[in-house]
Amino acid sequence: MFIRSLILFVCLAQIPALGQTKFTVSGYVKDAANGEALIGATIYIKSLLTGATTNVYGFYSLTLQSGNYDIEISYIGFNTQQRSLVLSENTRLDIELQSEEKQLDEVVVISTKDQEGVKALEMSTNRLDIKTILKIPAFLGEADVIKSIQQLPGVSTVGEGASGFNVRGGSVGQNLILLDEATVYNSSHLLGFFSVFNPDAVKDTKLYKGAIPAQFGGRIASLLDVRMKEGNNKNYEVNGGIGTIFSRAAVEGPLFKGDGSFIVAGRRSYADVLARPFVDVLQDGGALNFYDLTGKANYNINSRNRIFVSGYTGRDNFFFDKNQGFTWGNNTGTIRWNKIFNDRLFANFSGIFSRYDYSLQFGENDLDNFKWKSSIRNFTFKPSFSYFLNSNNEISFGAEVNYYSFEPANASGTSSGEKVDISLPEKYNLESALYIGNSQRLSSKISIDYGIRYSYFAGFGPGTQYIYNDTIPGRRRTPVSSEIFDQGEVTSTYQNFEPRFSFKAELNDVSSIKASYNRMAQYLHLISNTTASNPLDVWTPSSNNTKPELSDQWAIGYFRNFGKEQMFEFSVEAYYRKTQNQIDYIDGADLLINEFLEGDLLTGQGRAYGLEFYLQKKVGRFTGWIAYTLARTELKVNGINRNEWYAARFDQTHNVKVSGFYDLSKRWSASANFTLISGTPSTFPTSRFVVQNMLIPYNAQDSRNNVRLPAYHRLDVSFRLDGKTVKRNGKERKNSDYWVFGVYNLYARKNPFSIYFTQGKERVAQGAPINSEARQLSIIGTVIPAVSYNFKF
Amino acid sequence: MYRFNSVVFVILFSTLLFYSCDEVINPELEEASPVLVIDAWLNNAQGTQQIFITRSQPYFESVLPPGVSGATVLVSDENGKIYTFSESKPGVYVWSPVGNEVFGEVGLKYDLSVQVGTETFVSEARMGRAPVIDSITFFLVEGGQFADDQYQAEFWATDPIEPNDAYWIKTFKNSQQLLKPSEIVTAYDAGFSKGANFSGITFIAPLRTSINPFDEDDDGNIKSPYVVGDSIYVQIQAITEAGFNFLNEVRIQTDRPGGFSELFATPLANVATNISNVNSNGSKVLGFFNVGAVSGLGRKFNSLDDLTKN
Repeated sequence: MFIRSLILFVCLAQIPALGQTKFTVSGYVKDAANGEALIGATIYIKSLLTGATTNVYGFYSLTLQSGNYDIEISYIGFNTQQRSLVLSENTRLDIELQSEEKQLDEVVVISTKDQEGVKALEMSTNRLDIKTILKIPAFLGEADVIKSIQQLPGVSTVGEGASGFNVRGGSVGQNLILLDEATVYNSSHLLGFFSVFNPDAVKDTKLYKGAIPAQFGGRIASLLDVRMKEGNNKNYEVNGGIGTIFSRAAVEGPLFKGDGSFIVAGRRSYADVLARPFVDVLQDGGALNFYDLTGKANYNINSRNRIFVSGYTGRDNFFFDKNQGFTWGNNTGTIRWNKIFNDRLFANFSGIFSRYDYSLQFGENDLDNFKWKSSIRNFTFKPSFSYFLNSNNEISFGAEVNYYSFEPANASGTSSGEKVDISLPEKYNLESALYIGNSQRLSSKISIDYGIRYSYFAGFGPGTQYIYNDTIPGRRRTPVSSEIFDQGEVTSTYQNFEPRFSFKAELNDVSSIKASYNRMAQYLHLISNTTASNPLDVWTPSSNNTKPELSDQWAIGYFRNFGKEQMFEFSVEAYYRKTQNQIDYIDGADLLINEFLEGDLLTGQGRAYGLEFYLQKKVGRFTGWIAYTLARTELKVNGINRNEWYAARFDQTHNVKVSGFYDLSKRWSASANFTLISGTPSTFPTSRFVVQNMLIPYNAQDSRNNVRLPAYHRLDVSFRLDGKTVKRNGKERKNSDYWVFGVYNLYARKNPFSIYFTQGKERVAQGAPINSEARQLSIIGTVIPAVSYNFKF
Repeated sequence: MYRFNSVVFVILFSTLLFYSCDEVINPELEEASPVLVIDAWLNNAQGTQQIFITRSQPYFESVLPPGVSGATVLVSDENGKIYTFSESKPGVYVWSPVGNEVFGEVGLKYDLSVQVGTETFVSEARMGRAPVIDSITFFLVEGGQFADDQYQAEFWATDPIEPNDAYWIKTFKNSQQLLKPSEIVTAYDAGFSKGANFSGITFIAPLRTSINPFDEDDDGNIKSPYVVGDSIYVQIQAITEAGFNFLNEVRIQTDRPGGFSELFATPLANVATNISNVNSNGSKVLGFFNVGAVSGLGRKFNSLDDLTKN
């Protein structure tokens, strides 16, 4: 009798618990056609007006009261799926979405969901889907990730030929560029004409111009997070293209009978191969090419553990002959392990190796030559965790440890057979961070994201640290003493707390306000005193002489959708960023192979502020967007421009981008880009003087960047012809292909890259008058047509 | 590392030059008042020594700057010996030797004092040594698609063992000095820069062959630097470390081949001076003061038999 009551009591005791217990539904959302994880897909519970989005690995987790729910899973470009779920225990629910049939009014994506601009917590970010990147007409007919993000508000460059890009008035070295979590130090091939990212291997790119989550750090202006495809785990697929400058091919397919997949994608340029019979210079071992190879494989060990291995190698070669020229390249290797500890705790562990090197060789034989090689080697370990506490809180926490070894110069010069080693010592550094943050929904209309990142940077021996004298600001400082450190001894340390905060309030169903504040610290600096960033720029770590750069950015924005079917998305965002310890250079700074480089550097403060307007039409035969940015970015450094604020080299007041896409017919589509940017600043002389028969320019006000070059504007157009979808016999074609016909710089504007002052090329005799002239250089001064053929099978 | 910037990159990108464009324009420049310029480079060669005093001009001026008259110019060494410079033409101040004397003694420090109107400008420089030029040789580089057969000259000299010598290497072809901005050649010990540690050895090859002019003929082909019948005179002038920095800065500001090398060019900036106004709130001054020993050697390219066989 007692036993029966005990059992009854225990059973009855369960009943109230059953009514109040929460359970978690979690899993992956993937593309049914190829198994690719969908980033930012939405899982929405209509009855609760709540939901979740998948993370960068396609994983979601939602904790709800037990009960019956109608769930809607959606992702732009895919058919929305409705499912009913009976939630009575922790449930694993993996979902595969079917791609939408291609319709005449194909939507061009900037956000991953129609409403994301308004509803998502994020601000200051733009995600570009690979399909959009492939539609934007690019240089020489080749779609390019970085050229595409330059069509967004707040992003610019100083012109063709400049490596990298500028975000909200930040310099090129202030962007954190990640390829599957590995840091990329130079994102350009061929001096900025193409990026190192092969579009065939890229799945998703997201640019954070502000409101960077606590999980990321190390650069102060922006984060470009590029994610590679995982590879089709159902069928083999080959994609490729043949273009005017380079060709590319990518192969992907399943591994382990679909439990894994791989993708390998490569590109190589062939201007040198084609020119070889005609140009002497290229015959004795000369080479003018670039290539890159990206590979990735993944394996699902079981439903809770997944391993990814990926790698990238890319190189640019400019060799005059087999002994002379220069080359640079990135190599990265990453191994990652996704682990689902339980339905609420998702973790990713990444181990990354990255190496960036550049070298220069000069001299025709072994008796007389000069060789210089420089490199950065970097090992990183990053554990990151997401804890889905409940449907209103997602906590993220983790750490990052980076070990750097810099080789500023491994160099020698040989004269008449006598070799002199002019190498500089290596430098060793450790950059590490801990972070914790929470993304919290306060109500159905208000969400906040807050977090803090603690970063720590140390230099250690073996090595020598120099102390420089003080001089008149703007003059070279010379070392007055040095300190030698043994292996492992700490030379200098820095630490910073970096709070991050963002806030979103929905005003109504179609509009919202967002605001954010970020503090970022940067410990590695890209040193460049040339007009545009180029591959010979030097990365140098913070030390006793060079403090970390810091930035504080505030941003506020208003987001609104309107029109039939919410087809228009509008936003206006204002930002203000204050920066400290910005690096500039003395006049005549010597940056290459200079052991006393730090004596040629000056530091100061910076400020950048602007207003970004964005309007996009997302639905219809004609789609596109207009972006307009009004901005200023300035520096103030003792010793430059009379100690007053001066415009930074990439300060461009007005920045207008218009992109349009139009479906002409079932097979033809057209797209166009128009870019209009105010002229970049430049320094002009006022006077000239003569010393020892040399004509020297002089600026009487000691100004820097006192003048603006003429404005930059350009129109590109391209047409795309999709191959037939049915064969002559009426059967559907298995393979698909398309042609792209493009024109870059349609009205052949000679956009100035720089205006320089010189005495002219004629030889002048001693005592004769010397002519001085001003010349304007345009890197691309004419119209460039191109054609490419792209296939997939 | 100066030479590679202009030569190598311009050639490497010749295939892309088809798309780019480099042309003369006429921008409007801000106005500025003229600034005093003191051009004082003294050495121990036979004959007179000259100091030039002029003013700066607007940038697009096409005549040489007019001289400044009525200045008082004095140079003295640390032992108290005074060298007086008298005006011979407007802006030209000359010191004339007596008998066989030459200006200066290696190792001594020299002070310059120039009085213009009511203001005095001063500077100092220590006189450095110049190594003897052992020989000048000629060699053949075979021509190709873009250049004729080239007869190039090379000078041979060895930097003394103790470090921290700096030199300005000047070349005279048929008695005309090579004055293009790309032909400003500086050396630190036997190499290009201070941090590079090239002391005590033969001047490195790029310096030895820096005495060749490269001009284009009307078809755009590069002419041979020297042809039979030409004469060459090479002079090594010792300069102070400040003079080395000054000439490097001048070359950076004036050597602008244009085209793709502009991608690697630094922005315009003022070159430093080592001359100052005794009154720090007074007028600005530009120019440079240097004292150094010189050594020189000449040779005539008589016939193809003069070529060194490699």
